Amino acid sequence: MFKEFHYQVRGHGHLRDGTPVQDRTKYVSRDGVQALCLADGAGSASHSEFGAQAVVDEGCRLLVERFHEFAASPDGGQVKVDLLSRLLDKLQRVAERHGCEVVDLAATFACVATSGDRFLGAHVGDGVVGYLKDGNLAVISAPDNSEFANQTTFVTSSGALKSMRLFRGSLAGVAGFVLMSDGTAESLFSPRTGELAAACSKLITAVGTAPAQQGKNSEYRKRLRKLVDIRIRNATKDDCSIGILGRLETS
Amino acid sequence: MATLNIGADDLVDNPTPRVPVSLCLDTSTSMSGSPIEELIRGVNLFYDAIDEDDDAHDSAEINLVEFNSSAGLIHDFASIERLQRISSLTANGSTAMGAGVNLALDTLESRKATYSGSGVLYYQPWLVLMTDGGPTDNIDLAVKRVVEMVEAKKLTVFPIGIGSGADMKTLARFSPNRPPLRLDGLKFKEFFEWLSKSVSRVSRSTPGDTVKLDLEGLAGWAEL
Repeated sequence: MFKEFHYQVRGHGHLRDGTPVQDRTKYVSRDGVQALCLADGAGSASHSEFGAQAVVDEGCRLLVERFHEFAASPDGGQVKVDLLSRLLDKLQRVAERHGCEVVDLAATFACVATSGDRFLGAHVGDGVVGYLKDGNLAVISAPDNSEFANQTTFVTSSGALKSMRLFRGSLAGVAGFVLMSDGTAESLFSPRTGELAAACSKLITAVGTAPAQQGKNSEYRKRLRKLVDIRIRNATKDDCSIGILGRLETS
Repeated sequence: MATLNIGADDLVDNPTPRVPVSLCLDTSTSMSGSPIEELIRGVNLFYDAIDEDDDAHDSAEINLVEFNSSAGLIHDFASIERLQRISSLTANGSTAMGAGVNLALDTLESRKATYSGSGVLYYQPWLVLMTDGGPTDNIDLAVKRVVEMVEAKKLTVFPIGIGSGADMKTLARFSPNRPPLRLDGLKFKEFFEWLSKSVSRVSRSTPGDTVKLDLEGLAGWAEL
């Protein structure tokens, strides 16, 4: 079993502009499946905070329900279709409830789920997914930024299916995973080298070695939140979110 | 739990994404006198405004291209910290607008390649074309390049006519998405103030943001 930490904080730019925090994270553990999702609502979309919440809710639900089917499927293309369709169906319902269009709920999406000795995940848009395997940090899915810094693909984009990166593998040697939005990536990912910052290894280890019984305001969670609230947040104007799975045993 | 001891070396200090802005200026004979003096004041005011804006200060990189009988680079792309204010520009010769725009586009492409090579993210480049007359060289290639880039959403272009003699029909060829602007008199100051605010908006934008340029803010000193 992995331990988890997930958190989002409103960026300085959003604070200045009066826009709400549009990043969302969610973790669900059920029926032997652990699922962690992260989404970053589009700045141009009027209700993107609702969109981001909807896709992390539905993403976790879907991964818990169909992890074993997805992990065993030989047809990755169909898994992408199933995943995206489910997220878009959810967004359609949310749009109807809020009286807006689906595009008003635009958000990126990243997820990872584990069960037994397998993991799988998916990623649409910017932000980064990485893991710590055999003591080495590696990027599983890098940002999809098109050419320009303020362009990316959202779950609601016409190119979302084509842009989606799907990944799965064995958990042997894997100490943990990290998901981050683009705001957090400004401190934890180098576009120049394509590598994660060394801090990611420390964060995964910190989560993995946390005491087994932890409340929502345990000391270690406070320390992790403080890191995001101050160090990571101060390096960007954007919202910052992060999701971490960590464990001690790696085999 | 292991001690959460994260130092500066554990984090990445990524450079701020850049907004490359090429100012492509007519310095032909017709610009001599008040127009060129007001233009210099306007460009320097633009630099000052960028310098004073927290966001644009770190993002904007500006170069200056002039065109008269030929095209030339007055200074290459530089951040505002490194830019010297302009003391003088000499107005003489004809209006090689096609050569000027082609040079500006070449410098923007080169700058983007530099950013990409060094892992620096960047926003859509901007080209500001300012002239008080009509071209004396062939502009077909320059128009084709600009239009293709604008339509591919790879360039934002602002063609600006200075005074009543500006050939607005020619300038319109460079601007497929919006009509060119004609400055009311020599109100460079107002234009460059607006331009610096617009650069600041872009440099604050995040993925998914649609940067709406406040074109209504131009009312009163420019004809849309």
